[in-house]
Amino acid sequence: MSNPWETIFGWLFRLYPVSFREKFGDEAIQLLRDRVRDEPGFFLRARLYGDLLFDACTGLPQAWRNARAAKIRPLPVSDRDGVPSFGVLEEQPLRPGTILLSSTMSCAVLVAFGALLSHPTQLASIVGNRKVSPVVSVMERLSNPSPTGGGNPTTDATTIATEGTLAKTSADALMRVDPAERNRVIEAVAVDLVDHYPDHEKAVAASEMLLRHEKQGEYNAIVDGPALAAHLTEDVRRSTKDPHLVVEYSRNTFPQGDRSASPAMLEQYRAALLQENCTIESAGMVSKTVAYLKLNSFPDRAVCGPRILADIDSFHSSRAIIFDLRDNAGGYPDMVADVAARLFDRPVPWYNPKAIPSAGILSPATGSNLGKQRIYIVVSSQTLSAAEQFTYNLKMLKRATVVGETTGGAAHVGAFHRIDDHFGMGIPAGQIENPYHMPDWDGIGVSPDIKVRASDALEAAKKLAAGP
Amino acid sequence: MPKRKLDPLPAAAFQILLSLADTELHGYAIMRQVEEQTAGRVRLGPGTLYSSLQSLAEEGFIEEVSPGTELGSGEERRRYYRLTSQGHKIARFEAERLADVLRVARAKKILRGEYV
Repeated sequence: MSNPWETIFGWLFRLYPVSFREKFGDEAIQLLRDRVRDEPGFFLRARLYGDLLFDACTGLPQAWRNARAAKIRPLPVSDRDGVPSFGVLEEQPLRPGTILLSSTMSCAVLVAFGALLSHPTQLASIVGNRKVSPVVSVMERLSNPSPTGGGNPTTDATTIATEGTLAKTSADALMRVDPAERNRVIEAVAVDLVDHYPDHEKAVAASEMLLRHEKQGEYNAIVDGPALAAHLTEDVRRSTKDPHLVVEYSRNTFPQGDRSASPAMLEQYRAALLQENCTIESAGMVSKTVAYLKLNSFPDRAVCGPRILADIDSFHSSRAIIFDLRDNAGGYPDMVADVAARLFDRPVPWYNPKAIPSAGILSPATGSNLGKQRIYIVVSSQTLSAAEQFTYNLKMLKRATVVGETTGGAAHVGAFHRIDDHFGMGIPAGQIENPYHMPDWDGIGVSPDIKVRASDALEAAKKLAAGP
Repeated sequence: MPKRKLDPLPAAAFQILLSLADTELHGYAIMRQVEEQTAGRVRLGPGTLYSSLQSLAEEGFIEEVSPGTELGSGEERRRYYRLTSQGHKIARFEAERLADVLRVARAKKILRGEYV
Protein backbone atom coordinates (compact mmCIF):
# COMPACT_ATOMS: atom_id res chain seq x y z
CA MET A 1 0.00 0.00 0.00
CA SER A 2 1.58 3.22 -1.15
CA ASN A 3 -1.26 5.76 -0.99
CA PRO A 4 -2.20 7.34 2.32
CA TRP A 5 -5.84 6.32 2.03
CA GLU A 6 -4.79 2.73 1.44
CA THR A 7 -2.61 2.88 4.54
CA ILE A 8 -5.47 4.28 6.59
CA PHE A 9 -7.86 1.71 5.25
CA GLY A 10 -5.30 -1.01 5.84
CA TRP A 11 -5.20 -0.13 9.52
CA LEU A 12 -8.97 0.07 9.73
CA PHE A 13 -9.32 -3.20 7.90
CA ARG A 14 -7.17 -4.97 10.49
CA LEU A 15 -10.09 -4.53 12.86
CA TYR A 16 -12.21 -6.90 10.80
CA PRO A 17 -12.28 -10.67 11.34
CA VAL A 18 -9.56 -12.67 9.63
CA SER A 19 -12.01 -14.66 7.56
CA PHE A 20 -13.64 -11.47 6.35
CA ARG A 21 -10.31 -9.89 5.44
CA GLU A 22 -9.15 -12.91 3.56
CA LYS A 23 -12.34 -13.24 1.57
CA PHE A 24 -13.04 -9.63 0.76
CA GLY A 25 -9.75 -7.83 1.33
CA ASP A 26 -8.70 -7.61 -2.30
CA GLU A 27 -12.14 -6.56 -3.45
CA ALA A 28 -12.39 -3.92 -0.75
CA ILE A 29 -9.07 -2.42 -1.81
CA GLN A 30 -10.16 -2.52 -5.38
CA LEU A 31 -13.40 -0.78 -4.45
CA LEU A 32 -11.50 2.00 -2.76
CA ARG A 33 -9.18 2.40 -5.71
CA ASP A 34 -12.20 2.72 -7.92
CA ARG A 35 -13.67 5.37 -5.67
CA VAL A 36 -10.40 7.28 -5.51
CA ARG A 37 -10.21 7.17 -9.26
CA ASP A 38 -13.82 8.25 -9.70
CA GLU A 39 -14.01 10.83 -6.92
CA PRO A 40 -11.24 13.35 -7.48
CA GLY A 41 -11.01 16.70 -5.78
CA PHE A 42 -10.79 17.82 -2.22
CA PHE A 43 -14.48 17.62 -1.39
CA LEU A 44 -15.04 14.17 -2.79
CA ARG A 45 -11.84 12.89 -1.26
CA ALA A 46 -12.84 14.28 2.13
CA ARG A 47 -16.23 12.63 1.73
CA LEU A 48 -14.47 9.35 0.99
CA TYR A 49 -12.48 9.56 4.20
CA GLY A 50 -15.66 10.36 6.12
CA ASP A 51 -17.39 7.41 4.51
CA LEU A 52 -14.56 5.14 5.54
CA LEU A 53 -14.83 6.19 9.17
CA PHE A 54 -18.62 5.88 9.14
CA ASP A 55 -18.31 2.51 7.44
CA ALA A 56 -15.96 1.32 10.13
CA CYS A 57 -18.62 2.14 12.73
CA THR A 58 -21.42 0.33 10.93
CA GLY A 59 -19.65 -2.41 9.03
CA LEU A 60 -17.40 -3.66 11.81
CA PRO A 61 -20.16 -4.89 14.13
CA GLN A 62 -21.90 -6.59 11.27
CA ALA A 63 -18.71 -8.31 10.11
CA TRP A 64 -18.02 -9.60 13.63
CA ARG A 65 -21.63 -10.75 14.01
CA ASN A 66 -21.23 -12.71 10.81
CA ALA A 67 -17.97 -14.24 11.99
CA ARG A 68 -19.43 -15.18 15.34
CA ALA A 69 -22.54 -16.66 13.77
CA ALA A 70 -20.33 -18.80 11.58
CA LYS A 71 -18.47 -20.08 14.63
CA ILE A 72 -21.51 -21.03 16.66
CA ARG A 73 -23.25 -22.68 13.78
CA PRO A 74 -24.26 -26.14 15.00
CA LEU A 75 -21.66 -28.76 14.28
CA PRO A 76 -22.65 -31.91 12.47
CA VAL A 77 -24.01 -34.46 14.87
CA SER A 78 -21.93 -37.56 15.26
CA ASP A 79 -23.34 -40.62 13.62
CA ARG A 80 -22.60 -42.60 16.74
CA ASP A 81 -24.56 -41.49 19.72
CA GLY A 82 -22.57 -41.19 22.88
CA VAL A 83 -19.27 -41.03 21.10
CA PRO A 84 -17.50 -37.74 21.78
CA SER A 85 -16.70 -35.73 18.72
CA PHE A 86 -14.71 -32.60 18.20
CA GLY A 87 -15.13 -29.72 15.81
CA VAL A 88 -12.85 -26.92 14.79
CA LEU A 89 -14.33 -23.47 15.25
CA GLU A 90 -11.64 -21.56 13.40
CA GLU A 91 -11.24 -22.90 9.93
CA GLN A 92 -8.43 -20.57 8.98
CA PRO A 93 -4.92 -22.02 9.25
CA LEU A 94 -2.51 -20.31 11.58
CA ARG A 95 -0.52 -17.60 9.92
CA PRO A 96 3.30 -17.83 9.88
CA GLY A 97 3.51 -14.67 11.98
CA THR A 98 1.25 -16.18 14.61
CA ILE A 99 3.28 -19.39 14.69
CA LEU A 100 6.53 -17.41 14.96
CA LEU A 101 5.19 -15.20 17.74
CA SER A 102 3.75 -18.07 19.75
CA SER A 103 6.92 -20.14 19.32
CA THR A 104 9.07 -17.24 20.48
CA MET A 105 6.85 -16.63 23.49
CA SER A 106 6.80 -20.33 24.36
CA CYS A 107 10.58 -20.50 24.22
CA ALA A 108 10.85 -17.36 26.36
CA VAL A 109 8.47 -18.80 28.95
CA LEU A 110 10.37 -22.09 28.93
CA VAL A 111 13.72 -20.37 29.40
CA ALA A 112 12.32 -18.18 32.17
CA PHE A 113 10.81 -21.20 33.90
CA GLY A 114 14.08 -23.08 33.65
CA ALA A 115 16.00 -20.14 35.05
CA LEU A 116 13.50 -19.85 37.86
CA LEU A 117 13.91 -23.50 38.73
CA SER A 118 17.69 -23.48 38.67
CA HIS A 119 18.46 -20.13 40.18
CA PRO A 120 16.60 -19.48 43.41
CA THR A 121 16.89 -22.89 45.03
CA GLN A 122 19.66 -25.36 45.21
CA LEU A 123 19.57 -28.82 46.64
CA ALA A 124 22.20 -29.09 49.27
CA SER A 125 24.59 -31.96 49.21
CA ILE A 126 23.90 -34.67 51.70
CA VAL A 127 26.81 -36.83 50.79
CA GLY A 128 29.70 -34.75 51.86
CA ASN A 129 32.93 -36.47 52.61
CA ARG A 130 33.71 -34.81 55.88
CA LYS A 131 35.17 -37.30 58.24
CA VAL A 132 33.83 -36.80 61.71
CA SER A 133 33.52 -39.05 64.64
CA PRO A 134 30.66 -41.54 64.22
CA VAL A 135 29.46 -40.43 67.61
CA VAL A 136 29.27 -36.84 66.46
CA SER A 137 27.61 -37.76 63.25
CA VAL A 138 25.05 -40.04 64.91
CA MET A 139 24.28 -37.36 67.44
CA GLU A 140 23.74 -34.89 64.66
CA ARG A 141 21.43 -37.26 62.85
CA LEU A 142 19.54 -38.19 65.95
CA SER A 143 18.80 -34.57 66.55
CA ASN A 144 17.65 -33.99 63.00
CA PRO A 145 14.74 -35.53 61.14
CA SER A 146 15.38 -38.24 58.61
CA PRO A 147 15.95 -36.94 55.10
CA THR A 148 13.51 -39.54 53.80
CA GLY A 149 10.87 -38.86 56.38
CA GLY A 150 8.85 -41.95 57.14
CA GLY A 151 7.86 -40.68 60.54
CA ASN A 152 11.01 -41.86 62.24
CA PRO A 153 12.96 -39.14 63.97
CA THR A 154 15.95 -41.28 64.82
CA THR A 155 17.51 -42.56 61.72
CA ASP A 156 20.68 -41.46 60.10
CA ALA A 157 23.97 -42.03 61.75
CA THR A 158 26.62 -40.35 59.72
CA THR A 159 27.61 -37.02 58.36
CA ILE A 160 24.58 -34.92 57.93
CA ALA A 161 23.96 -32.16 55.50
CA THR A 162 25.44 -29.10 57.00
CA GLU A 163 23.24 -27.03 54.76
CA GLY A 164 19.47 -27.13 54.90
CA THR A 165 17.77 -29.38 52.41
CA LEU A 166 16.78 -26.45 50.31
CA ALA A 167 18.69 -23.21 50.19
CA LYS A 168 16.48 -20.21 49.84
CA THR A 169 16.90 -17.61 47.21
CA SER A 170 18.22 -15.11 49.65
CA ALA A 171 20.90 -17.57 50.63
CA ASP A 172 22.58 -17.20 47.27
CA ALA A 173 24.19 -14.01 48.42
CA LEU A 174 25.58 -15.80 51.46
CA MET A 175 27.29 -18.38 49.28
CA ARG A 176 29.20 -15.88 47.20
CA VAL A 177 32.97 -15.84 47.38
CA ASP A 178 35.10 -12.85 46.56
CA PRO A 179 38.35 -13.14 44.57
CA ALA A 180 40.49 -12.95 47.69
CA GLU A 181 38.69 -15.84 49.38
CA ARG A 182 38.71 -17.82 46.15
CA ASN A 183 42.45 -17.53 45.80
CA ARG A 184 42.98 -18.29 49.48
CA VAL A 185 40.91 -21.49 49.20
CA ILE A 186 42.70 -22.64 46.05
CA GLU A 187 46.09 -22.15 47.63
CA ALA A 188 45.01 -23.89 50.83
CA VAL A 189 43.76 -26.88 48.85
CA ALA A 190 47.10 -27.03 47.06
CA VAL A 191 48.97 -26.96 50.35
CA ASP A 192 46.72 -29.55 52.02
CA LEU A 193 47.19 -31.92 49.12
CA VAL A 194 50.96 -31.79 49.41
CA ASP A 195 50.85 -32.07 53.20
CA HIS A 196 48.35 -34.89 53.58
CA TYR A 197 47.82 -36.89 50.43
CA PRO A 198 49.61 -40.24 50.69
CA ASP A 199 50.96 -40.22 47.14
CA HIS A 200 53.31 -37.27 47.28
CA GLU A 201 54.11 -37.25 43.58
CA LYS A 202 50.45 -37.05 42.61
CA ALA A 203 49.84 -34.45 45.28
CA VAL A 204 52.54 -32.16 43.95
CA ALA A 205 51.25 -32.54 40.40
CA ALA A 206 47.71 -31.74 41.45
CA SER A 207 48.84 -28.83 43.56
CA GLU A 208 50.84 -27.32 40.71
CA MET A 209 47.93 -27.80 38.39
CA LEU A 210 45.61 -25.89 40.71
CA LEU A 211 48.01 -22.99 41.11
CA ARG A 212 48.62 -22.87 37.40
CA HIS A 213 44.91 -22.71 36.68
CA GLU A 214 44.50 -20.01 39.27
CA LYS A 215 47.30 -17.98 37.70
CA GLN A 216 45.72 -18.36 34.28
CA GLY A 217 42.47 -17.02 35.63
CA GLU A 218 40.48 -20.19 35.00
CA TYR A 219 38.64 -19.83 38.29
CA ASN A 220 37.92 -16.13 37.97
CA ALA A 221 34.39 -16.65 36.71
CA ILE A 222 33.40 -18.69 39.77
CA VAL A 223 31.66 -16.50 42.28
CA ASP A 224 29.83 -18.87 44.59
CA GLY A 225 31.12 -21.37 47.10
CA PRO A 226 29.43 -24.60 45.96
CA ALA A 227 30.57 -24.05 42.38
CA LEU A 228 34.13 -23.39 43.47
CA ALA A 229 34.17 -26.51 45.64
CA ALA A 230 32.75 -28.61 42.83
CA HIS A 231 35.24 -27.23 40.33
CA LEU A 232 38.22 -27.84 42.58
CA THR A 233 36.97 -31.34 43.41
CA GLU A 234 36.72 -32.16 39.74
CA ASP A 235 40.20 -30.83 39.05
CA VAL A 236 41.97 -32.65 41.88
CA ARG A 237 40.16 -35.89 41.12
CA ARG A 238 41.09 -35.66 37.46
CA SER A 239 44.71 -34.94 38.29
CA THR A 240 45.13 -37.66 40.92
CA LYS A 241 42.59 -40.09 39.45
CA ASP A 242 41.35 -40.53 43.01
CA PRO A 243 37.58 -40.23 43.41
CA HIS A 244 37.86 -40.02 47.20
CA LEU A 245 39.33 -36.52 47.20
CA VAL A 246 36.78 -33.83 47.77
CA VAL A 247 36.65 -30.10 48.39
CA GLU A 248 33.56 -29.19 50.38
CA TYR A 249 31.63 -26.02 50.90
CA SER A 250 29.18 -25.42 53.71
CA ARG A 251 26.94 -22.42 54.17
CA ASN A 252 27.17 -23.04 57.88
CA THR A 253 30.45 -22.59 59.63
CA PHE A 254 32.66 -25.64 59.95
CA PRO A 255 33.49 -26.19 63.62
CA GLN A 256 36.94 -25.38 64.85
CA GLY A 257 39.36 -27.89 66.29
CA ASP A 258 38.88 -31.57 67.07
CA ARG A 259 35.49 -32.95 66.19
CA SER A 260 35.95 -36.20 68.07
CA ALA A 261 33.41 -36.88 70.74
CA SER A 262 33.88 -35.60 74.21
CA PRO A 263 33.05 -37.94 77.14
CA ALA A 264 29.89 -35.98 77.78
CA MET A 265 28.81 -36.27 74.17
CA LEU A 266 29.67 -39.95 74.19
CA GLU A 267 27.43 -40.51 77.16
CA GLN A 268 24.66 -38.50 75.58
CA TYR A 269 25.06 -40.51 72.41
CA ARG A 270 24.76 -43.81 74.23
CA ALA A 271 21.68 -42.68 76.06
CA ALA A 272 20.08 -41.47 72.86
CA LEU A 273 20.85 -44.73 71.08
CA LEU A 274 19.30 -46.82 73.80
CA GLN A 275 16.29 -44.56 73.92
CA GLU A 276 15.92 -44.97 70.18
CA ASN A 277 16.24 -48.75 70.38
CA CYS A 278 19.63 -48.61 68.71
CA THR A 279 17.90 -47.21 65.60
CA ILE A 280 16.13 -50.52 65.09
CA GLU A 281 12.84 -49.42 63.69
CA SER A 282 11.42 -52.86 63.18
CA ALA A 283 12.60 -56.44 63.65
CA GLY A 284 10.69 -59.67 63.34
CA MET A 285 9.14 -62.17 61.01
CA VAL A 286 6.94 -60.79 58.24
CA SER A 287 5.88 -64.31 57.28
CA LYS A 288 6.63 -67.82 58.42
CA THR A 289 9.83 -67.88 56.45
CA VAL A 290 10.86 -64.25 55.91
CA ALA A 291 12.54 -62.11 58.56
CA TYR A 292 12.73 -58.36 58.45
CA LEU A 293 15.06 -55.84 60.06
CA LYS A 294 14.73 -52.12 59.49
CA LEU A 295 17.94 -50.65 60.76
CA ASN A 296 18.42 -46.92 60.50
CA SER A 297 22.11 -46.82 61.35
CA PHE A 298 25.05 -49.06 62.19
CA PRO A 299 25.62 -47.71 65.69
CA ASP A 300 28.48 -48.22 68.12
CA ARG A 301 28.72 -51.94 68.76
CA ALA A 302 29.85 -51.30 72.31
CA VAL A 303 26.39 -49.87 72.96
CA CYS A 304 24.11 -51.61 70.52
CA GLY A 305 26.03 -54.62 69.26
CA PRO A 306 24.34 -57.16 71.54
CA ARG A 307 20.86 -55.88 70.88
CA ILE A 308 21.18 -55.74 67.08
CA LEU A 309 23.02 -59.03 66.79
CA ALA A 310 20.48 -60.73 69.05
CA ASP A 311 17.73 -59.63 66.73
CA ILE A 312 19.62 -60.97 63.76
CA ASP A 313 20.41 -64.24 65.47
CA SER A 314 16.71 -64.69 66.19
CA PHE A 315 16.18 -65.05 62.46
CA HIS A 316 17.82 -68.48 62.41
CA SER A 317 14.58 -70.24 61.53
CA SER A 318 13.90 -68.05 58.52
CA ARG A 319 14.66 -68.87 54.94
CA ALA A 320 15.21 -65.28 53.90
CA ILE A 321 16.15 -62.03 55.66
CA ILE A 322 15.29 -58.56 54.45
CA PHE A 323 17.56 -55.75 55.63
CA ASP A 324 15.73 -52.48 55.15
CA LEU A 325 18.39 -49.75 54.94
CA ARG A 326 16.36 -47.12 53.13
CA ASP A 327 16.79 -44.66 55.98
CA ASN A 328 20.20 -45.85 57.07
CA ALA A 329 22.80 -43.15 56.58
CA GLY A 330 25.76 -44.92 58.05
CA GLY A 331 27.59 -45.49 61.28
CA TYR A 332 30.43 -47.69 62.44
CA PRO A 333 32.32 -50.01 60.06
CA ASP A 334 32.85 -52.40 63.00
CA MET A 335 29.12 -52.79 63.41
CA VAL A 336 28.80 -53.37 59.67
CA ALA A 337 31.39 -56.11 59.88
CA ASP A 338 29.70 -57.70 62.89
CA VAL A 339 26.37 -57.89 61.13
CA ALA A 340 27.89 -59.14 57.90
CA ALA A 341 29.92 -61.80 59.71
CA ARG A 342 26.63 -63.38 60.81
CA LEU A 343 25.70 -63.92 57.19
CA PHE A 344 28.68 -65.99 56.03
CA ASP A 345 29.82 -69.46 56.81
CA ARG A 346 33.29 -68.98 55.37
CA PRO A 347 35.93 -66.24 55.33
CA VAL A 348 35.40 -63.71 52.58
CA PRO A 349 37.24 -60.66 51.21
CA TRP A 350 36.09 -57.49 52.88
CA TYR A 351 36.37 -53.87 51.81
CA ASN A 352 36.51 -51.08 54.33
CA PRO A 353 37.87 -47.88 52.80
CA LYS A 354 38.31 -46.33 56.23
CA ALA A 355 40.64 -49.08 57.38
CA ILE A 356 44.32 -49.43 56.66
CA PRO A 357 44.63 -51.62 54.73
CA SER A 358 41.25 -51.19 53.17
CA ALA A 359 41.16 -54.71 51.77
CA GLY A 360 40.84 -57.34 54.45
CA ILE A 361 39.26 -60.67 55.30
CA LEU A 362 35.95 -61.06 57.10
CA SER A 363 35.68 -64.19 59.19
CA PRO A 364 32.29 -65.74 59.86
CA ALA A 365 30.82 -65.21 63.29
CA THR A 366 31.23 -68.16 65.60
CA GLY A 367 28.06 -70.13 66.03
CA SER A 368 26.04 -68.23 63.45
CA ASN A 369 23.71 -70.32 61.38
CA LEU A 370 22.53 -67.64 58.98
CA GLY A 371 25.04 -68.45 56.26
CA LYS A 372 22.52 -70.12 54.00
CA GLN A 373 19.60 -67.72 54.28
CA ARG A 374 18.78 -65.66 51.25
CA ILE A 375 19.53 -62.01 51.94
CA TYR A 376 17.68 -59.04 50.45
CA ILE A 377 18.82 -55.47 51.08
CA VAL A 378 16.29 -52.72 50.51
CA VAL A 379 17.93 -49.40 49.70
CA SER A 380 17.13 -45.87 48.65
CA SER A 381 19.01 -42.79 47.55
CA GLN A 382 19.22 -41.94 51.25
CA THR A 383 21.18 -45.08 52.03
CA LEU A 384 24.65 -43.74 52.80
CA SER A 385 28.15 -44.43 54.00
CA ALA A 386 28.39 -47.48 56.28
CA ALA A 387 25.06 -48.75 54.98
CA GLU A 388 26.50 -48.52 51.50
CA GLN A 389 29.60 -50.39 52.65
CA PHE A 390 27.39 -53.21 53.90
CA THR A 391 25.38 -53.24 50.69
CA TYR A 392 28.40 -52.95 48.44
CA ASN A 393 30.30 -55.83 50.03
CA LEU A 394 27.35 -58.18 50.08
CA LYS A 395 26.57 -57.34 46.49
CA MET A 396 30.15 -57.84 45.35
CA LEU A 397 30.24 -61.16 47.17
CA LYS A 398 26.90 -62.11 45.56
CA ARG A 399 25.55 -62.75 49.01
CA ALA A 400 22.56 -60.44 48.76
CA THR A 401 20.04 -59.17 46.28
CA VAL A 402 19.83 -55.39 46.39
CA VAL A 403 16.34 -53.97 45.79
CA GLY A 404 15.42 -50.32 45.42
CA GLU A 405 17.21 -47.21 44.21
CA THR A 406 20.86 -46.43 43.65
CA THR A 407 22.31 -45.45 46.98
CA GLY A 408 23.63 -41.99 47.82
CA GLY A 409 27.29 -42.57 47.04
CA ALA A 410 28.94 -41.33 50.24
CA ALA A 411 32.03 -43.26 51.19
CA HIS A 412 33.31 -40.73 53.73
CA VAL A 413 36.79 -41.96 53.17
CA GLY A 414 38.85 -38.85 53.56
CA ALA A 415 39.98 -37.21 56.74
CA PHE A 416 38.48 -33.76 56.96
CA HIS A 417 40.82 -30.79 56.76
CA ARG A 418 39.30 -27.47 57.59
CA ILE A 419 40.35 -24.62 55.29
CA ASP A 420 38.19 -21.83 56.64
CA ASP A 421 34.71 -21.35 58.03
CA HIS A 422 33.03 -22.55 54.86
CA PHE A 423 35.57 -24.64 52.99
CA GLY A 424 37.18 -27.92 53.89
CA MET A 425 38.78 -30.83 52.18
CA GLY A 426 38.50 -34.61 52.46
CA ILE A 427 41.78 -36.42 51.86
CA PRO A 428 42.19 -40.21 52.21
CA ALA A 429 44.66 -41.11 54.90
CA GLY A 430 46.21 -43.95 52.98
CA GLN A 431 46.22 -45.80 49.71
CA ILE A 432 42.87 -47.46 49.14
CA GLU A 433 42.91 -50.97 47.83
CA ASN A 434 39.70 -52.57 46.69
CA PRO A 435 39.65 -56.38 46.87
CA TYR A 436 37.00 -56.52 44.19
CA HIS A 437 39.07 -54.39 41.83
CA MET A 438 36.00 -52.37 41.06
CA PRO A 439 35.15 -48.75 41.79
CA ASP A 440 33.49 -48.42 45.17
CA TRP A 441 30.33 -46.45 45.81
CA ASP A 442 31.90 -43.07 46.41
CA GLY A 443 30.10 -40.52 44.29
CA ILE A 444 28.21 -43.12 42.28
CA GLY A 445 26.35 -45.19 44.85
CA VAL A 446 25.57 -48.88 44.82
CA SER A 447 23.26 -49.78 42.01
CA PRO A 448 20.45 -52.17 42.88
CA ASP A 449 19.97 -55.60 41.34
CA ILE A 450 16.25 -54.96 41.23
CA LYS A 451 15.58 -51.34 40.44
CA VAL A 452 12.31 -50.05 41.87
CA ARG A 453 11.24 -46.91 43.65
CA ALA A 454 12.22 -46.80 47.29
CA SER A 455 8.59 -46.66 48.31
CA ASP A 456 7.92 -49.90 46.43
CA ALA A 457 11.17 -51.64 47.26
CA LEU A 458 10.06 -53.40 50.42
CA GLU A 459 7.05 -54.98 48.78
CA ALA A 460 9.24 -56.07 45.89
CA ALA A 461 11.73 -57.62 48.30
CA LYS A 462 8.96 -59.41 50.18
CA LYS A 463 7.72 -60.97 46.97
CA LEU A 464 11.21 -62.09 46.08
CA ALA A 465 11.83 -63.45 49.56
CA ALA A 466 8.57 -65.35 49.56
CA GLY A 467 9.49 -67.10 46.34
CA PRO A 468 11.13 -70.48 46.07
CA MET B 1 -35.72 -22.13 15.32
CA PRO B 2 -32.78 -19.72 15.37
CA LYS B 3 -33.44 -16.17 14.40
CA ARG B 4 -32.21 -15.26 10.96
CA LYS B 5 -29.49 -12.65 10.67
CA LEU B 6 -31.48 -10.67 8.11
CA ASP B 7 -34.81 -10.63 9.89
CA PRO B 8 -35.80 -7.84 9.68
CA LEU B 9 -33.99 -7.04 6.50
CA PRO B 10 -31.57 -4.15 7.01
CA ALA B 11 -31.90 -1.19 4.69
CA ALA B 12 -28.46 -1.74 3.20
CA ALA B 13 -29.26 -5.37 2.43
CA PHE B 14 -32.57 -4.44 0.85
CA GLN B 15 -30.87 -1.84 -1.31
CA ILE B 16 -28.33 -4.43 -2.40
CA LEU B 17 -31.12 -6.84 -3.33
CA LEU B 18 -32.77 -4.11 -5.34
CA SER B 19 -29.53 -3.28 -7.09
CA LEU B 20 -29.19 -6.90 -8.19
CA ALA B 21 -32.82 -7.27 -9.25
CA ASP B 22 -32.17 -7.09 -12.96
CA THR B 23 -28.47 -7.64 -13.41
CA GLU B 24 -25.28 -9.18 -12.09
CA LEU B 25 -22.94 -6.71 -10.44
CA HIS B 26 -19.64 -6.67 -8.59
CA GLY B 27 -19.11 -4.86 -5.30
CA TYR B 28 -18.17 -1.45 -6.60
CA ALA B 29 -20.98 -1.52 -9.14
CA ILE B 30 -23.42 -2.46 -6.41
CA MET B 31 -22.21 0.48 -4.36
CA ARG B 32 -22.71 2.83 -7.29
CA GLN B 33 -26.09 1.36 -8.13
CA VAL B 34 -27.25 1.79 -4.55
CA GLU B 35 -25.98 5.32 -4.52
CA GLU B 36 -27.86 5.99 -7.72
CA GLN B 37 -31.10 4.37 -6.69
CA THR B 38 -31.10 6.29 -3.41
CA ALA B 39 -30.23 9.58 -5.09
CA GLY B 40 -26.87 9.66 -3.32
CA ARG B 41 -28.30 9.24 0.16
CA VAL B 42 -26.72 5.84 0.70
CA ARG B 43 -23.09 5.17 -0.11
CA LEU B 44 -22.08 1.77 1.10
CA GLY B 45 -18.56 1.60 2.44
CA PRO B 46 -16.53 -1.55 1.92
CA GLY B 47 -17.16 -2.89 5.41
CA THR B 48 -20.92 -2.51 5.23
CA LEU B 49 -21.12 -3.59 1.62
CA TYR B 50 -19.16 -6.81 1.91
CA SER B 51 -20.59 -7.71 5.32
CA SER B 52 -24.04 -7.37 3.82
CA LEU B 53 -23.06 -9.36 0.76
CA GLN B 54 -21.69 -12.05 3.05
CA SER B 55 -24.90 -12.20 5.06
CA LEU B 56 -27.08 -12.24 1.98
CA ALA B 57 -25.03 -14.99 0.41
CA GLU B 58 -25.12 -17.07 3.59
CA GLU B 59 -28.90 -16.71 3.74
CA GLY B 60 -29.15 -17.78 0.13
CA PHE B 61 -30.58 -14.49 -1.11
CA ILE B 62 -27.76 -13.84 -3.52
CA GLU B 63 -25.08 -15.99 -5.05
CA GLU B 64 -21.73 -15.47 -6.63
CA VAL B 65 -21.63 -15.81 -10.35
CA SER B 66 -19.55 -18.74 -11.48
CA PRO B 67 -16.09 -17.88 -12.83
CA GLY B 68 -17.12 -18.78 -16.36
CA THR B 69 -19.46 -15.86 -16.52
CA GLU B 70 -17.03 -13.32 -15.11
CA LEU B 71 -15.86 -10.50 -17.22
CA GLY B 72 -12.55 -10.49 -18.96
CA SER B 73 -9.03 -9.75 -17.86
CA GLY B 74 -8.44 -7.03 -15.33
CA GLU B 75 -11.51 -8.11 -13.40
CA GLU B 76 -9.87 -10.99 -11.53
CA ARG B 77 -10.39 -9.53 -8.10
CA ARG B 78 -14.06 -8.82 -8.55
CA ARG B 79 -16.79 -11.19 -7.54
CA TYR B 80 -20.06 -10.80 -9.30
CA TYR B 81 -23.32 -11.43 -7.55
CA ARG B 82 -26.82 -12.09 -8.66
CA LEU B 83 -30.15 -12.47 -6.97
CA THR B 84 -31.50 -15.93 -6.22
CA SER B 85 -35.16 -16.84 -6.37
CA GLN B 86 -35.17 -16.71 -2.60
CA GLY B 87 -33.63 -13.27 -2.80
CA HIS B 88 -36.32 -12.17 -5.22
CA LYS B 89 -38.93 -13.43 -2.84
CA ILE B 90 -37.50 -11.73 0.24
CA ALA B 91 -37.01 -8.47 -1.69
CA ARG B 92 -40.62 -8.62 -2.82
CA PHE B 93 -41.82 -9.23 0.72
CA GLU B 94 -39.80 -6.31 1.96
CA ALA B 95 -41.08 -4.08 -0.84
CA GLU B 96 -44.67 -5.11 -0.04
CA ARG B 97 -44.06 -4.39 3.63
CA LEU B 98 -42.79 -0.94 2.77
CA ALA B 99 -45.75 -0.49 0.39
CA ASP B 100 -48.07 -1.30 3.27
CA VAL B 101 -46.25 1.27 5.34
CA LEU B 102 -46.71 3.77 2.54
CA ARG B 103 -50.40 3.00 2.30
CA VAL B 104 -50.78 3.66 5.96
CA ALA B 105 -48.75 6.83 5.63
CA ARG B 106 -51.04 7.97 2.83
CA ALA B 107 -54.12 7.02 4.80
CA LYS B 108 -52.79 9.05 7.64
CA LYS B 109 -52.10 11.84 5.15
CA ILE B 110 -48.47 11.80 6.04
CA LEU B 111 -47.70 11.29 2.35
CA ARG B 112 -49.55 12.92 -0.48
CA GLY B 113 -49.72 12.76 -4.26
CA GLU B 114 -48.28 10.13 -6.59
CA TYR B 115 -44.82 10.21 -5.22
CA VAL B 116 -44.76 6.45 -4.69
